[in-house]
Amino acid sequence: MTHAIELNNLTRKFGDFTAVDNISFSVEKGTIFGFLGPNGSGKSTCIRMLCSVLEPTSGSATVNGFDIVKDPEQVKRSIGYMNQSFSLYRDLSVEENLSFFGGIYGLRGQHLIERMESVVHLMGLQPYMRRPSGQLSGGWKQRLALAAALIHEPDLVFLDEPTAGIDPVARRELWDLLFLLASQGKTLFVTTHYMDEAERCDQIAYIYLSKLMVKGTPSQLKALPEITPEGTRRIAVSTTRPSATLFVLKAQPFTLDATLVEAEIHLLMRAEVSNEEAIASLNGANIQGCRARPIEPSLEDVFVTLTRRLAKQ
Amino acid sequence: MNTSNKLATPLLNGLRSMLVKELIHIRRDPTTLFFALLIPAIQLSLFGFAVDFDVRHIRTAVVDMDRSRESREYIARIQNTQYIDIISTLHSPAEAESALMRSDVRAALIIPEDFGRRFGTVRTPQVHVLLDGSDGQVANPARSAFMQQPTQGTGGSAVDVRLNVLFNPDIRTKIYTIPGLVGVILQLVTVSLTAFSLVREREQGTLEQLMVSPVGRLGLMLGKLIPYALLGFVEMSSVIFIARLLFNIQIAGSLALLLAMSIPFIGASLAIGLLISTVAKTQGQAMQMTLLTTLPSILLSGYITPRETLPLPLYWIGNIFPVTSFIQIIRGIMVRGAGIQELFPSLVSLVILMLVLITIATRSFRKSIA
Repeated sequence: MTHAIELNNLTRKFGDFTAVDNISFSVEKGTIFGFLGPNGSGKSTCIRMLCSVLEPTSGSATVNGFDIVKDPEQVKRSIGYMNQSFSLYRDLSVEENLSFFGGIYGLRGQHLIERMESVVHLMGLQPYMRRPSGQLSGGWKQRLALAAALIHEPDLVFLDEPTAGIDPVARRELWDLLFLLASQGKTLFVTTHYMDEAERCDQIAYIYLSKLMVKGTPSQLKALPEITPEGTRRIAVSTTRPSATLFVLKAQPFTLDATLVEAEIHLLMRAEVSNEEAIASLNGANIQGCRARPIEPSLEDVFVTLTRRLAKQ
Repeated sequence: MNTSNKLATPLLNGLRSMLVKELIHIRRDPTTLFFALLIPAIQLSLFGFAVDFDVRHIRTAVVDMDRSRESREYIARIQNTQYIDIISTLHSPAEAESALMRSDVRAALIIPEDFGRRFGTVRTPQVHVLLDGSDGQVANPARSAFMQQPTQGTGGSAVDVRLNVLFNPDIRTKIYTIPGLVGVILQLVTVSLTAFSLVREREQGTLEQLMVSPVGRLGLMLGKLIPYALLGFVEMSSVIFIARLLFNIQIAGSLALLLAMSIPFIGASLAIGLLISTVAKTQGQAMQMTLLTTLPSILLSGYITPRETLPLPLYWIGNIFPVTSFIQIIRGIMVRGAGIQELFPSLVSLVILMLVLITIATRSFRKSIA
């Protein structure tokens, strides 16, 4: 299978600071690829290099088979790009924005009209064609931005935090659109801070302090040995007094990590301690009626564990 | 309990914290600090030299048809006043007139054949002086320099000076200030038009969206330049129309030529705007930088004080502003009725300036997005 994106030891330095440090991975065609990491970890710098806007200091990458340094124009023609902040013309109407960006990519006449109709239909923008884009709500702005990114039929679309700052309904709808695009064979390269969005990706790469830490499917990442090290296990404790329970469990010698998720305590603990012993420690603190069950780590657990491990080193 | 204190406290609440915060802002923003502290000092120390209304060294041509000892002595006496610089010797009054038309010289001294012979006779020796009235700041001191007779020296008898002011016979101030003002205003407006346009795209993030598209750098630049050039062109026409309507400034030369020659001027001014927009990160900074170009454009372009009075370094700095050449052109056409031949050097320097500025702007634009 050929790859939509391939990075080979890609590195970018700004003076003494290395923003992207020797990163290599590949992205399969037709997948939703989640590119995750804390703010300032080098995600945006990496995307700008992949869009041929920024030259790498060393290493190389291909996008849709084109070298990002040697064929920047081919790269740009073959990709769509949607920014985290709305970056279309606020004073232009929906129609004018789409027509402008279509024109920039060389679409003319009937072909342009057909492409505009297609993306407008896909995104459901019909009622807003004449409205200045600055007056659209957050979710509709993002739909318009996605429509503009798709106008020239790119095989690959970069989406840099596409759902930042929009409401949950609009977020769900946007993801439905992304699934639809992926089903049509498009490759989507998405950055996000939302763990539920990360769960929806086919593949995830997590970068921290400019370096690639892990890459794989969500279930592969959860199964990584360093996430639940030997001699430990994860349980969820249901309780009627979540905050108090969290406080007590955190203080127990068998606890390695504890956090509150949906009124349950997710606990990483020593494997030799049984569920009953854990519950008993709560009874001692006068918290009654708790129950424990074994659980898988969540993606949040994966990233928190990995990040803390690296921060300690 | 103190009631006045109770009242005063809410009003001044947080003043101290505000002061501290603002001082931190200022310290963290080197651009503002630079503009606030350094620029006024630099501008005053530079332009203090520029504002000199005491015009000396007026470029003058001599046509000596007498070639006598007396005529040479007279020329030497005129030269000694320091107000007049004899920079060329010509052969006929016609040559002198065309030198004035080209603005090579500001005055011409014509000494008739019988100048020397008239000394000691009842007929007072006579000279003709042609003055360029298209810059009153020069024409007026030139007139007094010739009229005040340098009587001391050899053979220092009275000479009858016949003055003839060309192009603006009454030396009306508006005739030469308004065309200059047109140039200054147009440059200011066109520079800010492009400067703001690109910086706005940067601020709103649309520039980033453009950069990931296959739009060419020159396509982007010219796409910005041309519409504003058209706007500047319309503006130019309307300003000339107003000059004529309100101030009764007639155009001595060809309006079509003036409009045609304003194209490279507008182009060069817009390119300065583009250059500003590649450096400025916010519209506020663009505003400050635009203002920065304003004062030198007024003081070094020959609009207020004649360029002859400038110290040489300032004279050269003045050349980087399109308005400097354009004032030559617009005064030439509107006041002197000059044609393309006379104004060719100014046109050439304007076109070169435009090409250089667009090249620099396009190149520095690439660096600024990385």
